Amino acid sequence: MTATTTTAALELSGIDMHYGYVRALDSIDFRVGQGEVVGLLGDNGAGKSTLLKIMSGAHRPTGGTVKVHGDEVELHSPSAATEAGIQMVYQDLALVEALDIATNLNIGREILRPGLFGLLGFVDHKAQRKRSEAELDKLGVRTAAMTRPVEMLSGGQRQVVALARSATRVTGEQNGILLLDEPTAALGYEQTQVVQALVRRMADQGIAIVLVTHNLQLAGAVCDRMVVLNRGKKVADVRTEDTDNDHIVGWITGARPSMFD
Amino acid sequence: MTTPAQANGAATPGNPGGAASPAPAPGGAPVAAPTKDSAGVRGLIFLRDRGIFVLWLLLIIVFAVWANPYFGTLNNAILIANAAAISAIFAAGVAVGIICGALDLSIPGVAALSSCVTGWMVIHDMPVWLALVVGLVIGVVIGFINGVISLRGFNPIIVTIAMLSVTSALAAIVAGGYTIPGLSKLDFMGTQRYLGVPAPVWIAAGVFIVGTVFLTKTRDGIRLMAVGGSAEAVRRSGIHSDRYKVMAFMISSGCAALGGLVTTATVTEANPNASPALIFTALTAVALAGVSLVGGRGSLPRVAVGALVLATIANGLTIKGIQPYWATGATGLLLLGSLALDRSLTRTVSQRLMATAQASVHTGTR
Ligand SMILES: Nc1ncnc2c1ncn2[C@@H]1O[C@H](COP(=O)(O)OP(=O)(O)OP(=O)(O)O)[C@@H](O)[C@H]1O
Ligand SMILES: [Mg+2]
Repeated sequence: MTATTTTAALELSGIDMHYGYVRALDSIDFRVGQGEVVGLLGDNGAGKSTLLKIMSGAHRPTGGTVKVHGDEVELHSPSAATEAGIQMVYQDLALVEALDIATNLNIGREILRPGLFGLLGFVDHKAQRKRSEAELDKLGVRTAAMTRPVEMLSGGQRQVVALARSATRVTGEQNGILLLDEPTAALGYEQTQVVQALVRRMADQGIAIVLVTHNLQLAGAVCDRMVVLNRGKKVADVRTEDTDNDHIVGWITGARPSMFD
Repeated sequence: MTTPAQANGAATPGNPGGAASPAPAPGGAPVAAPTKDSAGVRGLIFLRDRGIFVLWLLLIIVFAVWANPYFGTLNNAILIANAAAISAIFAAGVAVGIICGALDLSIPGVAALSSCVTGWMVIHDMPVWLALVVGLVIGVVIGFINGVISLRGFNPIIVTIAMLSVTSALAAIVAGGYTIPGLSKLDFMGTQRYLGVPAPVWIAAGVFIVGTVFLTKTRDGIRLMAVGGSAEAVRRSGIHSDRYKVMAFMISSGCAALGGLVTTATVTEANPNASPALIFTALTAVALAGVSLVGGRGSLPRVAVGALVLATIANGLTIKGIQPYWATGATGLLLLGSLALDRSLTRTVSQRLMATAQASVHTGTR
């Protein structure tokens, strides 16, 4: 499935990033459309995380422009990015271990009880559970009882909860953009399959997804397009069906010349 | 927080997986709906979350038999509750601090300062209600200061130790170095009984009911617990976690002030000496209740029972004429035992759950 809209959900042009004398990114152009999954690949230190942090507002680029749905924006903080409809799922999931799934999914957007209790700040646990169940159903995942504390979940289930927490905050209708940094790094085969299916599902609902990964198999299975970075430069930007593993590996290691030279 | 929810969850299968999924995964194994835990797991979780209640019950049975006929009387029960009440109030403060990720060591100092200011106002013939309000407000304000300083990146333990010294000094200054005696005007919240139950027990009960409802049912309380568990998670949900840290310090110090005032009312004098023993008793009750020092977990009802367990042991052994240092030693062993039990139960539960864990995606992609 490809982007149906002509304006990209997120478009970066000419992004430079210098850490002191280190040139982490050199004039990167990048775009992702609504409903599209773009894989961001590259060797260690290629600049993937740096680029993702710029998209999420954690870092400000030294140069270049960022456009969200065609409008130029200054992502000067993570909350500015959140307001623009961009959510990032970090490698450390940052879930609240002792609290249950429903609470984790609802924190920051709690449903209060109607009437006086609501005014006193009482939370409607039942409504929250219902909403979360519906949202997970919509994403097509069923993890465990909503009341199960996160500490009692497997790695894959946690990853699903973390993804769902972000996904429910950036739905397809709101033209959400989701940034994933190595979502399967700590997972086994089975659980990677689950996350893979979930990523695909979210894209099918119209969410724009940028996926940083070292797992080529995963990238091949879920990405519509792949962008390869090599030492801070973009060396490839290809549709998944127009390429194969060998080419990608070549670009990652630098054995294959850049598409853009 | 997790406990009541857990109980519900086990009982309500929600909407069973088969009914909700429009198309069962083609070809794949039938997708189990892992929304219900096995009876064994539920039993273990119950033991982990309610173990302290079981322990208390056992203690009561043992003492009732061993110290028959003096232990198992209504009067003795009231004695135990009264003995537990004040340490329970302090323990509630310590617990809320720890749950939100901050150990507040200034509690004895805050208690002393509030007592002395209130005592001073009462003997200078100011209205009792005003004196009490001022005492409580002092506690809350000191908590606010603790919180704000800690947020500047200073270690809360050091900050609250410093505050312990400052508040003890202030208490001594207010009291002129001596205890302030003759505070019988505060009897109504000290030795006075209502429906046969002493005032401190009513006050402690109130603190725990309000506190429990706050932590498990209200938005701010739930967020406060979440901040203790993972401040980062809360921040990423777009919430300012700082607010909740400060709130925890304010609640903690507020409980300290209240505990100090109830102590003062009970002994009818305000003592400017901050007693460090107070914080250790409170910490013992909190630890017995399984409140992790790492933060983010814990339940106030269990803390109350923790304080009751300590009081029960002390009471039972006293009735048997056994030296109090045996009670101290027994408490220590109990604490170590409960830690070991909690650890092994948690391990077993998660292993059992992991074994059956599956995140299922009913898309047909797999
Ligand atoms: N805070 C920083 N200060 C200085 N240099 C940095 C900083 N962060 C990253 N770099 C440098 O920028 C370059 C790109 O790093 P980045 O973390 O983006 O790589 P990556 O592609 O995410 O690698 P990995 O696969 O190991 O996660 C590296 O040379 C790294 O050393
Ligand atoms: Mg990285």
